[in-house]
Amino acid sequence: MKEGEKDRTSVLVVDNEIEFASTLAERLQMRGYDATAVYSAEDAFEAVKKSLPDIMLLDHVMPGTSGVEALTTMKTCFPNVFVFLLTGQVDIEKELEGIRLDNFSLILKPVDISALTVMIDRAKLEMTNKRKLQEP
Amino acid sequence: MTVVMGFFGYLDLRTISSRLAYIKTADDILNDALEIRRYEKNLLLFHDETSLNELNKYINLLRKDVEGLKKEIVGRLGLPEYKKLSDRIDEYERIIHNIAKNPNDNGLIDRVREVARKIQSTTEDLAAVERASIDILLDHLNRSMTLLLLTIASFIVAGAVINMKLADGISNPIRDLEDATKRVADGDLSCRIELKGKDEIASLGMSFNVMQDRLSDARQSLELAIEEVHEKQEQLLEAEKLASLGRIAAGVAHEINNPLAIVNEKAGLMQDIIGISDGFQNKERFINLIQGIVASVERCRTITHHLLGYARRIEFIMGPVNLNHAVEEVKGFLHTELDIKRIVLESNLAADLPQIRSDKGQIEQVILNILKNAIDAVSENGLITISSGMKDSATAVISIKDNGQGIPEDKLKHIFEPFFTTKVRNKGTGLGLFVSYGIVKKLGGMINAESVPGRGTTFTVEIPVDFKQ
Repeated sequence: MKEGEKDRTSVLVVDNEIEFASTLAERLQMRGYDATAVYSAEDAFEAVKKSLPDIMLLDHVMPGTSGVEALTTMKTCFPNVFVFLLTGQVDIEKELEGIRLDNFSLILKPVDISALTVMIDRAKLEMTNKRKLQEP
Repeated sequence: MTVVMGFFGYLDLRTISSRLAYIKTADDILNDALEIRRYEKNLLLFHDETSLNELNKYINLLRKDVEGLKKEIVGRLGLPEYKKLSDRIDEYERIIHNIAKNPNDNGLIDRVREVARKIQSTTEDLAAVERASIDILLDHLNRSMTLLLLTIASFIVAGAVINMKLADGISNPIRDLEDATKRVADGDLSCRIELKGKDEIASLGMSFNVMQDRLSDARQSLELAIEEVHEKQEQLLEAEKLASLGRIAAGVAHEINNPLAIVNEKAGLMQDIIGISDGFQNKERFINLIQGIVASVERCRTITHHLLGYARRIEFIMGPVNLNHAVEEVKGFLHTELDIKRIVLESNLAADLPQIRSDKGQIEQVILNILKNAIDAVSENGLITISSGMKDSATAVISIKDNGQGIPEDKLKHIFEPFFTTKVRNKGTGLGLFVSYGIVKKLGGMINAESVPGRGTTFTVEIPVDFKQ
C-alpha cells in the first residue's frame, strides 16, 4: 500500500485509552495510512481544525464528553470526515436513534485490523466518489 | 298398655284399701260385741254401775259401727239380716235397761243372753265373711303388686326404648355433628356426616356436608391460587435475578473490552513488527505465540459480545415466521454433527401451526442453543425430539426433549444464569441458555426446563403469536 504522500488516507484515532489509540495508529501507519492518535475530544477538534482527516476513528466512551455528543458536534462541523464510532457497547443503536448521520459507521471493539483496513478503504472510496459527483 | 296395667293396679289398690277399712270396722263390731258380752256378764254378776255404763257405751259403739257399715253388711248378709241386727241391738239395749231396774228377773236375763248370742253370732258371721274376703284381698294384693311391678318394669322398658329412640334420632347425630365440627376446627375438611332419616337433624347434617363441600372447594382453589402466586413470584424473582446478573455481566464485559482492545492491538503490532523485520530470531515461534494471544482475545471477545448482547435491546427484525421452517433450518445446520454422533433427531411438528410475527433469526438462535445442549447431553445413539404446537390461540410452543442424563434439581434452577454450565470444562461457556433466555424474554415469551435425572431434559419455549413490545 505504499502510495504517494498526497494519496495516502489520513486517519485520526481519538481515544482516551492512550495505549490503544497509539498502538492502533502505529499499526495503521505500518499499513501505509497517515494515522495520528489524539487522546481527548478537545485535542481531536484542534487536530481536525489544523488538518482535515479523511477518516476519524472515534471512541464511544470518553471522559468529559460522551462519544455520541462528540460525534454529533464533529459531524456538524466537519460533515466530510467519515467517522467510525468505536464501541464496546452493542446497544449503541438506541443512543443513535433519531440522529441522522451521513458518512458514518459503527465498529465493535476489539477491532480486527484487516477488517478495519477494508472498511477504511471502502469509506475513503465512497467519499472520493461523492466528491467527484459534487464537482461539476 | 303400661297405663292400663297401672290403672288396674290402682283400682285393685282402691279395692284393697276400702276392704281394709271394712275389715277394721267389722273387727270393731265383733270387738264391741265381745266387750258387750264381757260387761253383760259383769253386770249380771255384780249389778254395778260401772258395768252398766260400760255396757251402754259399747252398745252405742256397736250401733254406731253397725250403722257405719250398713252398706257393707247389707251387701254381704242382705237387708233383712241388717235390720235384724239393728233391731236386736235396740232390743238388747231395752232388756239391759230393764235388767238394771229388775236385776233378778230371770226371764229378762235369759232373753238378754239369747239376744246377745244372736248379735254375737251375726257379728261373727260378718267377721267370717271378711276373713274369707281377706283371701280374696290377698289375691287382689298379689295381682296388684304384680300389675304394679309389671307397670314399673314396663315404665323402665319404655324409658329405655324412648332413650334409645332419642339417642338414635337426636343425641347420636348431634354428637356426630359435634365430632365433625371439632375435626373441621382442626382443619379436616374431608369429614362428612352419614345422613339417616329425613328429619331436621338430617337436614342439619346435610347442610353441614354442603358447607364442607364448599369449604374444601374453596380451600382447594385457594391452595391452587397460592401455588400459582408462588410460581409467579418465583418466576419474577428468577427474571429479576437474571436481569441483574445480565446487567452486571454486561458492565463487566464493557469494562474488559477496553483493555482487551489494547491487548489485541499490542499483540497485533508485535506481529506486524516481527512480520516486516528481516532476520528476526525465532520469528516463527514468536508469530505463533502472538497468534495464541490474538486467538485468546478473540475468545474473550465472543464472551463479552454475548454478555453485551444479553443486556442489549435487540433491534428486532420482525416478520412472519414459520416456526416449523425455523426448526428445519436449524436441523440443517446440525445435520453433520448429528450423523457423526449417531444421534436421532425426531421432529413432531404441528402441521397446522399458524405463521407468527416475531424475529426468525433470534428464534433460530434459541433453538440452536438448546439443540446443541441436547446433543451434548445425550450419549451416542441418543434421541432428541423436537415438537411444535400451540399452547393457546396466542402462544406457540416449541419443546425440545432429550433422553440424556438429565439435570439434578439443584442445578436445574441455575441453568439460565450466565457462566453456569453442567458440561465438562471448556466444552461450554455457560452463556448459551443465558443468551437464549434473554432473547425469548425480549420476544415476549417464556423459556422453561424440566428434567428427570437419568431420564432426560425437556426445554419448552413459548413465543407469542404476535409480538408486542
